[in-house]
Amino acid sequence: MQRTVRDALIAVAVVFGVGSLAMLLAHVSPINGFGALLDGALGNPSEVAETLLQTTALLFPALGVALAFRAGLFNIGAEGQIVLGGMTAGILGVALPLPGLLLIPIVLLAGAAAGGLWGGLAGFLKARFGANEVIATLMLNTIALLLATYLIGGPFKQPGAGAAETPPLPAAAWLPVIIPNTRLSISFILALALAATLWYVFRRTVFGYELRAAGDAPEAARRAGIDLGRTAFTALALSGAIAGLGGATIVMGVLHRFNTGLSPGYGFIAIAVALVGNLEPLFIIFAAFGFGILQSGAIAMQAEANVPRDVVTLVEGLVIIALAGRRFIVERRTA
Amino acid sequence: MAEPALRLRGICKRFGAVNAVDGVDLDVFAGEIHALVGENGAGKSTLAAIAYGAVRPDAGTIEAGGTVGLVHQHFQLIERLRVWENILLGREPRAGLRIDRVRARAIVRELSERHGLAVDPDALVETLPIGIKQRIELLRELVREPAVLLLDEPTAALAPSEIDAFFLNVKALAARGTAVLIVTHKLAEVMGYSARVTVMRSGKLVARFATADTSADAIARAMVGGEVPALAARAPTQLAPRLTVRDLRSGAGAGALGGVTFDVAAGEIVGIAGIEGNGQTLLADAIAGVVPYTGEIALDGRPLPSGMGPAQRLESGIRIIPQDRRHEALVLDWNIVDNVALGRQRDPPLRSGAVIDRAVAQRYAADVIERFDVRPPNPQAIAGALSGGNQQKIVVGRALAGTPRLVVAYQPTRGIDIGAATLVGSRLIEARNAGAAVLLISFELDEIFALADRVYVMYAGRFAAEFARSAIDRGRIGALMAGG
Repeated sequence: MQRTVRDALIAVAVVFGVGSLAMLLAHVSPINGFGALLDGALGNPSEVAETLLQTTALLFPALGVALAFRAGLFNIGAEGQIVLGGMTAGILGVALPLPGLLLIPIVLLAGAAAGGLWGGLAGFLKARFGANEVIATLMLNTIALLLATYLIGGPFKQPGAGAAETPPLPAAAWLPVIIPNTRLSISFILALALAATLWYVFRRTVFGYELRAAGDAPEAARRAGIDLGRTAFTALALSGAIAGLGGATIVMGVLHRFNTGLSPGYGFIAIAVALVGNLEPLFIIFAAFGFGILQSGAIAMQAEANVPRDVVTLVEGLVIIALAGRRFIVERRTA
Repeated sequence: MAEPALRLRGICKRFGAVNAVDGVDLDVFAGEIHALVGENGAGKSTLAAIAYGAVRPDAGTIEAGGTVGLVHQHFQLIERLRVWENILLGREPRAGLRIDRVRARAIVRELSERHGLAVDPDALVETLPIGIKQRIELLRELVREPAVLLLDEPTAALAPSEIDAFFLNVKALAARGTAVLIVTHKLAEVMGYSARVTVMRSGKLVARFATADTSADAIARAMVGGEVPALAARAPTQLAPRLTVRDLRSGAGAGALGGVTFDVAAGEIVGIAGIEGNGQTLLADAIAGVVPYTGEIALDGRPLPSGMGPAQRLESGIRIIPQDRRHEALVLDWNIVDNVALGRQRDPPLRSGAVIDRAVAQRYAADVIERFDVRPPNPQAIAGALSGGNQQKIVVGRALAGTPRLVVAYQPTRGIDIGAATLVGSRLIEARNAGAAVLLISFELDEIFALADRVYVMYAGRFAAEFARSAIDRGRIGALMAGG
């Protein structure tokens, strides 16, 4: 709890401290810059809805990354898992002639399965050959992106379209909107429910207990009958499935078609979100909202205060370094 | 009397709500070996750290007539560096920007000859046996010519013969004028080698003795603050075949298990005496199912093949008290409740469907806390914050919960105080009385003699001899342990 508060304070300090510094270097008053950012993110109901949309897009992969972290595994492949989840949803959403009530859950699950396959592949390499999951998930990102680019530029390309993207989804595959005249869909509710589910899984279930044991003390866990290889595989597969589900919700709720630009790095920012939330699903909701504000206010900040939106990318990167770096230093010291 | 080389007055140190050291005065004189004894958490290590300057006291004064050196309980060597690099770390002789290796080796050689502590300056530390590593620890402090040398549980990892050799060296140091303060809980060493003894309990200094005028019993009573509890009585048991091991081999090189054959019956404690590194670790790990092996292990006639992992062995009633409680047994970031549940998380009634029943987990933890007198008796306490003795009580308590069929206890009382060690020993005897088979692996002969019904002596991965409890011959066993 103390640590959660401290990490959140570090994140806020980095965001405002470094952000102000960057704005000063760009000859902009930080008050104007952050004012424009907050106004752009929370200024009126439709902007709040956009911010919640960004929150949702970050929350899925952040929960996935957190699940892997709890098992002692660093999944930096959420970006690729989002892409494959989104692609699968984009292709199946068009191809399956089903009514919405069936189509939506099936396509969502297929997106999760695609992400899970990608995460599980890294998990299999780890369990079977002892391959480092950081390298495996990182490299699988590139493969995922190139695979998606090839498939939608070739076999699944929209006939006659100039851009590499799938045909638009039929309305039956669109996720229902929960606030009229905005793009905020039930995916937001789904993400919150998933966070609550994970909270319960970590706290109460045998599976969550074994996952945490494997992450916190692998040798003690192994001697207590916990199969570390199987746990690594399951954790990375589930982690990928959650990120893949997030990718599917972007396609079905926001873009209504798939193209490879569906994620501006959600899978990477998710690492910062998970760490700021101290890997606790319920805190991660708030961390995702904080980063959602940054994501959604960045464009307004650029337009109205003339602050390059790269400032947001910069502070997000620094939050990752500040928190992930510290976590690894602590681990090395206690190892 | 001469001025003391180390003079502590009114030392106080609090950690949170705990008075770790509470108004202690202590003098150590040049040329004497002074023993500082006390149970776990009595404050003796904290006092040593204060004398060394690593911990700042809240009150009190420290005066030392020269440099103070400290040899830690756990080796602080860099395994991948050579002996001379370790000894001279931070004070290497230089030739321009480079280290003057020739002079460095000469310094180490001279130091090692002067103190009679033979080491090869060029050996890689990771290749050396524990006794030699202890010598290097000592030499590293001696480079600084300390007037006062503090030794914190220096023999915890040494074999009996190595302990004797170590103390001969310490005695020689003292004879040349060094003031030596030894922090220990081993009374045999106190009686054998110290001139004076200071006893601490709960942060306070409770007794001072001249070693020649006192007895181990009197020191123990001062440490415990009353009579030392007696071990549980051994009840007559009906022996029935339980564990059978045939030509068990595992590993290669030093520490390999080179083919052992033995049985442990239900209702008996079989002790494995030996010096660390003679195959005991692989013996325990093979039975635990965490290393591959050849040969046969069977429980109640049912074979346990090499590939069978810990989960199935736990299920068949095997409980292991592993060597390294911090890494192999506990999740240090977790509380007592979650740690006590570890290993039983899939067994009803703890598991109820897919969920862990928290009421059952609480009950399990409360049982262990009560039966083993865990302090603090707070189930929510984090394992990593407990003293070593209390951590060990949790590990042993977890292993002995329910009705284990076979208990493999690896150094079950390592680093824990007399009271806790007696408690652990008693619980092992009670498990035996109740029909468990107990395999006790220990480097401390006293522990084996106190608990075991039969003793095997292990040397170089094999059994050198077997002794019944009635026929135990301490001198013969000590010689066999050393390969004689």
